[in-house]
Amino acid sequence: MKIWAIAGITFKEAKRDRILYLLFFFAALGIVASRALAVLTVGDRVKIIKDVGLASISVFGVLMAILIGTGLVYKEIDKKTIFTLLAKPLHRAEFILGKFLGLVLTLFVMTLAMSLIFLAIVYAHTLKIEGVLLVAVGYIFLELVLITAVAVLFSSFSTPILSSLFALAFYLIGHLSWGLELIIKKMRPGAGKALVRALYTFLPDLENFNFKTEVVHGLPIPPGIYVSAFLYGVCYTAFILGLAVLVFRRRDFI
Amino acid sequence: MGKRVSAKKVPAALLLTVFLVATAAAFMALKVGADRIVRKKLPGSSIIYIPSGKFLKYATFGYRSLAADVIFLWAIQYYTTPTIDDRFDHLDHIFSIINELDPRYQDPYEVGALIAVQEAGDTRAAFAILDRGAANNPDQWVYPFNAGHVAMMTLKDFSLAEKYFEQCMKIPGAPEFVERLRANALFKKGDLETSWETWLDIYNRAADEEMKKIASNHLYNVKATIDAAALEDAAAKYRERFGHLPASLETLIRTGFLREVPKDLDGKDYVYDPVTGDVKTVVSPWRR
Repeated sequence: MKIWAIAGITFKEAKRDRILYLLFFFAALGIVASRALAVLTVGDRVKIIKDVGLASISVFGVLMAILIGTGLVYKEIDKKTIFTLLAKPLHRAEFILGKFLGLVLTLFVMTLAMSLIFLAIVYAHTLKIEGVLLVAVGYIFLELVLITAVAVLFSSFSTPILSSLFALAFYLIGHLSWGLELIIKKMRPGAGKALVRALYTFLPDLENFNFKTEVVHGLPIPPGIYVSAFLYGVCYTAFILGLAVLVFRRRDFI
Repeated sequence: MGKRVSAKKVPAALLLTVFLVATAAAFMALKVGADRIVRKKLPGSSIIYIPSGKFLKYATFGYRSLAADVIFLWAIQYYTTPTIDDRFDHLDHIFSIINELDPRYQDPYEVGALIAVQEAGDTRAAFAILDRGAANNPDQWVYPFNAGHVAMMTLKDFSLAEKYFEQCMKIPGAPEFVERLRANALFKKGDLETSWETWLDIYNRAADEEMKKIASNHLYNVKATIDAAALEDAAAKYRERFGHLPASLETLIRTGFLREVPKDLDGKDYVYDPVTGDVKTVVSPWRR
């Protein structure tokens, strides 16, 4: 109950944030402008619209998660409202989870709104509602949930600017960690290879949530990957939140 | 009171640690599992969205050269990974990006062309890369030289090879042997007259005996080829009229098909085979 109360307040607080609407405006602009970009191509215009639309949802969603998420806990500490909250019978883990869920709810509403605009633009070109696109959007949302957890983690012990940089680095690492796989294939067996493999397994692999190419080109997606990617996202998010709680429990505000 | 709080905190911290270890183990196991699932890919889908270097250079915030280095390093890894079946599909595109970002970066032109010829078997891409290298670096003779080499040795397009060698010769610093390669390309493409003139010019300008000998051997070869063609042509006409090949080359003079039988550059007679009609030199041009 306490978690949901904090989540509700966080949601209310986030929806008053102007940066949220600014990012939403640019996301909507990106999705709508995909029509103009499609005119520049030769051949399949709908592909360009789908690519740009999904990219807009993903990029601006990540920016929302990072820019709002990194200030969530810090603001409470900076404005000293944390003292009022922690004086109540409220566990610090509940506080972190409440903040996290509040932002996840905000992102859910934003993703839903961006998806509706996106589907409307696609509908205007194909005259059919392509529900399969929602698979890609769903996993983009799962990625945003993980990024939110990361933003909350860094926000619990660092300033918003540094937290934003760290969270952005996490996002970039998550999308580039597949490069380690190529290195592993070229390395000789030994301790170095084992170390790189361990690093590769531990580092986030956000490509697990990337179904954009498959959805846009209508490629078959192996059923196992849905469950696997979903569980991977849930477990990684739980791990990051666990870390955030661990850090926040030890935090001294005086 | 303080003791009670810390006693409460210990199991909570322990639980949290166990939770962290469990979730980390779970997501690492899931990651290993997810890697085993083969996902369909579009041919070249991993690189198809890399924009043209013309546009990319504006997005590198002044780090164009660094961006070229990074893409080049990545390209080397990418093209040496045999498990990517479709890796050569956008070879020219990838190297054009590097070339656009840093037009004076020499290695990518040579390495790109090498990959195109040796690995991809795509001479069109090799010529595109080398042509870009020559256009962006007009002071470098190595690009038209390499293109000429590919045209001569791989494509066996001697006209194209001759064109590239001629382009290479005009660049200051080009080695003198390129002129000889051009003369050889002219010979192979069948332009015997220009080849003769070129070899004669090389012979007359030769600075040492060794060079004179090389040019002389080629001149011998060109003359022998011209003479042999004329003799074989006369023998073929003789066969058309009489139904059989002449017994000797002198027969061609007696019957009016030839005014005289030419001799090779050393003044020796050619060897005629009355069974096949072939005309050869007494010795190999390279063993005179």
